[in-house]
Amino acid sequence: MASPSSTAVANRSQVVTWVLRVLVVGYLLMLVAWPTAYVVKHTFAGGMTGIQDALADPDVVHALKLTAQIAVAAVIINTVFGVGMSLLLVRHTFIGKRALSVLIDLPLSVSPVVVGLALVLVYNGRFGWFGPFLEDHGLQIIFAKPGMIMATCFVILPLVIREVVPVLEELGDDQEQAARSLGASGRQTFLRITLPSIKWAVVYGVVLSLARALGEFGAVKVVAGNVGGETQVATVLVQQKYQNFQQETAYSVAFMLVFAAVLCLIVVALLRPQDSQK
Amino acid sequence: MSIEIKGVNKMFGDFVALDDVNVSLPTGQLTALLGPSGGGKSTLLRIIAGLDAADSGTITIEGTNATTLPPQKRNVGFVFQHYAVFKHMTVAKNVAFGLEIRKRPKDEIAARVDELLKLVHLSQFAHRLPSQLSGGQRQRMALARALAVEPTVLLLDEPFGALDAKVRKELRDWLRRLHDEVHVTTVFVTHDQEEAMEVADEIVVINNGRVEQVGTPDQLYDEPANDFVMGFLGEITTLNGVMLRPHDIHVSLTPEVAGAAEGTISRLLRVGFEVRATVLTDDGEEVTVILTRTHARQLGLETGVRVWVTPAAGALTMPSLTAAAG
Repeated sequence: MASPSSTAVANRSQVVTWVLRVLVVGYLLMLVAWPTAYVVKHTFAGGMTGIQDALADPDVVHALKLTAQIAVAAVIINTVFGVGMSLLLVRHTFIGKRALSVLIDLPLSVSPVVVGLALVLVYNGRFGWFGPFLEDHGLQIIFAKPGMIMATCFVILPLVIREVVPVLEELGDDQEQAARSLGASGRQTFLRITLPSIKWAVVYGVVLSLARALGEFGAVKVVAGNVGGETQVATVLVQQKYQNFQQETAYSVAFMLVFAAVLCLIVVALLRPQDSQK
Repeated sequence: MSIEIKGVNKMFGDFVALDDVNVSLPTGQLTALLGPSGGGKSTLLRIIAGLDAADSGTITIEGTNATTLPPQKRNVGFVFQHYAVFKHMTVAKNVAFGLEIRKRPKDEIAARVDELLKLVHLSQFAHRLPSQLSGGQRQRMALARALAVEPTVLLLDEPFGALDAKVRKELRDWLRRLHDEVHVTTVFVTHDQEEAMEVADEIVVINNGRVEQVGTPDQLYDEPANDFVMGFLGEITTLNGVMLRPHDIHVSLTPEVAGAAEGTISRLLRVGFEVRATVLTDDGEEVTVILTRTHARQLGLETGVRVWVTPAAGALTMPSLTAAAG
């Protein structure tokens, strides 16, 4: 059926397809899969003993707990403000709206270490702008949990907003206006109409920010005291253990972090198809 | 009077959407706001509903000053051009929304939803999602949803604008019959003069942010207040410096009446039962004439035939502005 020339074209495009496939898969393998697999391999080099030993170390347990606490707190705060700011950006016009929109992307472009330093400058207890005042009133920010939560919030700020804004824009405000004309107050309209319409975007944003918050290193390291068993999060602990030649523990904790992040992504992947079927 | 609009102005930047609008819309009637796109009719409807705020002026609904009331306190039903269905709720839930907000008892809501779905012929679709309905069905659902809260006034913003011609015609008839059943004061916006004349008890013609004329369909057609209204409600042509409707022109093959304009048929177009002839008069006017096919055959009209044209007896005429200026 096919003429010789069209067969040649088909062959060539097949070759191109294969080359592209090999290239992409190879790239992912070298960059992501192999190193991650290496962590897993090292973790389980001695069976479960690596993980058991790591979990027997009170510093490790504390660091994991602290990471979880900070991630959850930051994600909750970020979800509330993220949804609120998305509504503000999409549904209202005000002076400085575009500036705000650009500002929200700042955490993506600024190095987390710089974020940490900036927070230290403003909130530290000795020479910061707010720090001494807050510390006089019994609230320590830097080298304590509030600072670590703030740093994490800063880093994950765009993740919920960038998920929710396009959905809100596509949704339009027709349904909200209809709800208002049917007697719903602003709160009722949000809870009954807006929130159900954007819930999958919010869920996706939450999971992404949770995964990002668990892995945050730079910003948190700068603002935290990094005292083992007190203000040291899991990522910083991994670095410290690795440098102290406790590689087994480092690999085990690293594996647990990877596992949690992958779990988050799997949850999203499982949730998404149900959304599109609906 | 159900809705009183007094001295309403609205600007969008430099654009004047409404310019000192004063209208009274009577209780229990079906009123059409008719006008070209961008003329301000939708803006007026949204201001009545409270979805937009007027820059100045007052809105009174059934004796209550509603000018500063938020939409949820006005007790109006609003139907949008693009339906604005609640996509994540079933048809029944959509209709029940206003009642649930008002915290009515469950069995009362169920009974009312049932009754309304019957009214709009959607009973068998109660448990479907709006995405499974056609455009016409969605709009009927939106109408039931708006009616559920027993609004003082029902406002429809180009309700049939997004539907195809056949469904639009069906829904138009259906809206008229529905209104005769439920008698709620209804205002709908349209740019289709045929739709307005067919459905409405009263028509408000709006152009460039101003009310051009208010009246029954017959009043508007027979006694248009100005050339804009005359031109908007039907085709017009100019003969001897007066404007009149093309079907109000008498054509003869001999100079029967004194003052008849003599001319040549330059173009003949047949559309179904209708024949549209363009007569080029010796004075240089291009006159459009509409006759029935039978009449045109009786006269033996063809391109190039000499004819005499005069306004028919009883024709509505109006001095032409262009003729007066020229």
